[in-house]
Amino acid sequence: MDQPAAHKILLVDDEEAITENLSAFLKRSGFQVVIAANGQQALAAIGDESPDIVIMDVLMPEMDGRQALRQLRREENWIPVILLTQIGESTERAMALEEGADDYLNKPFNPHELVARIKAVLRRAKQGQPPLSAAWILTSGKLTLDRRSKKASLDGDPINLTPKAFSLLEYLMTHPGEVVSRERLLDTVWGWDYPIGTRAVDTRIAELRSALGDNASQPIFIETLPVLGYQFIHDVWVGK
Amino acid sequence: MKFKTHWYLILPLTFGFVAALLLNYTALPNPVLYLRADLGTFLFLIGAGASCLGWITASFVQRLKFFEKEIEEKSVRDRRKFLSLLDHELKNPLTAIMAGLANLNDGTQQETLHSVEAQVQRLSRLVADLRKLSDLETRPIEMNGVNLPVLLEEVFVLAQSRAGEDRVLNLAIPKAPWPLPEIQGDRDLLFLAVHNVIDNAIKYTKPGDTIELRANEEGSQVRIEIADTGPGIPASETSQVWGELFRGEAARGIPGSGLGLALVQAIIRRHGGQTSLRSQLDKGTVITLTLPTHGVTEL
Repeated sequence: MDQPAAHKILLVDDEEAITENLSAFLKRSGFQVVIAANGQQALAAIGDESPDIVIMDVLMPEMDGRQALRQLRREENWIPVILLTQIGESTERAMALEEGADDYLNKPFNPHELVARIKAVLRRAKQGQPPLSAAWILTSGKLTLDRRSKKASLDGDPINLTPKAFSLLEYLMTHPGEVVSRERLLDTVWGWDYPIGTRAVDTRIAELRSALGDNASQPIFIETLPVLGYQFIHDVWVGK
Repeated sequence: MKFKTHWYLILPLTFGFVAALLLNYTALPNPVLYLRADLGTFLFLIGAGASCLGWITASFVQRLKFFEKEIEEKSVRDRRKFLSLLDHELKNPLTAIMAGLANLNDGTQQETLHSVEAQVQRLSRLVADLRKLSDLETRPIEMNGVNLPVLLEEVFVLAQSRAGEDRVLNLAIPKAPWPLPEIQGDRDLLFLAVHNVIDNAIKYTKPGDTIELRANEEGSQVRIEIADTGPGIPASETSQVWGELFRGEAARGIPGSGLGLALVQAIIRRHGGQTSLRSQLDKGTVITLTLPTHGVTEL
């Protein structure tokens, strides 16, 4: 494992069983790992160790992951953060993205999925720049997404989206260029698995496409990748 | 509350009793009173007295019922809270186990590893179902127009592919004189509810059995029925099947978390509907989901 620059991960969780097992796995996957047990320690470690990415639990004693993340972003520190959400509550998931986390995973998760997330986030992150997920307004060509008021518009004309379709678009737009599997979309946008699973996602994507006037065979925004899932292919930038 | 009601009864009685004692056994004047009344007034007073008595009894009974309901609701709340705590407590160890397992993957004991992994998957599914249940209580429900015939057909097609060739599956949705009305609700949740019921039917029936999915409009409601010619549910269990983590005698050896029908009930209730079940041993079961056509007024 002596790649020249193994990425350094700061793993923050108060459960030793998790940090121990997970750090062993992450090291085997080729990362350097530093551990902290709460938000306070995490903030200190970010200063001392300058990790490349932070994997942080939400519920922790002393200072929880949410507070730590908020403090980081308030200080305009845009280090990539993946939150490990505790409860399946949709509010917590929504919060994770709104507070400027780059991504989040529901516990319990497959550690391979975590590694995939880490790699995707590291690929996407631009040094010292706020992630798209920390922005209230996102623009992609004619499409504008106002995440605070939950409104989308195309060429200035507001488009009607159901809350779920909006969340779906929001997730895809904050992860442009990334292949997102249907399972992943279910887990993040719906919060739980459905028997219909993939079909529920497909239905919503179709709804989104027709609202965006996007053609599935020649997409401007959302491309279908057979078997793999979906990808937001247009460039996305912060603000109008 | 109860405490106060007692005092309403006890105070006047005690006052009367003490006054009587004082007047009878002390030197205080205790004159004989002759109360006279004409029949009309007398009857009026009797009527008023009876009314008072009736009012007291009625309010007492009402209060009793209120308490009963309160206790029942509290026990439902407590149970849900317990389940969400359980879900929460299971998550961290599961996360650690999954990470630990991923570390073991190059070991030699592949078979043991696979079986442990399968059990971890099972536990994760249970946790996921527990999460759904507690999530359902709190999450806002999307209320959109749902095309029931299309939804039921989709559930049916999925069920057909699950059941295979050896069960007879029938779908009966009225098309004349008009199709089922659109209902207001969360399509994904409603799909899950009907799917869970029909999935149960598939699980508990044997090859050759018949399963029917039917729906009809009744006034301002839509009734969805899922009937099967399966083994039926013993009368002693019919009231419990909607409870969390309940698994009947017949469910032994059949995979499941015991949360399927609890979820169905939670979903239907959040849509302002009702669930019911009729069953006869060795004949079969029919589960009815009733949904209002004009949605829920209060969430």
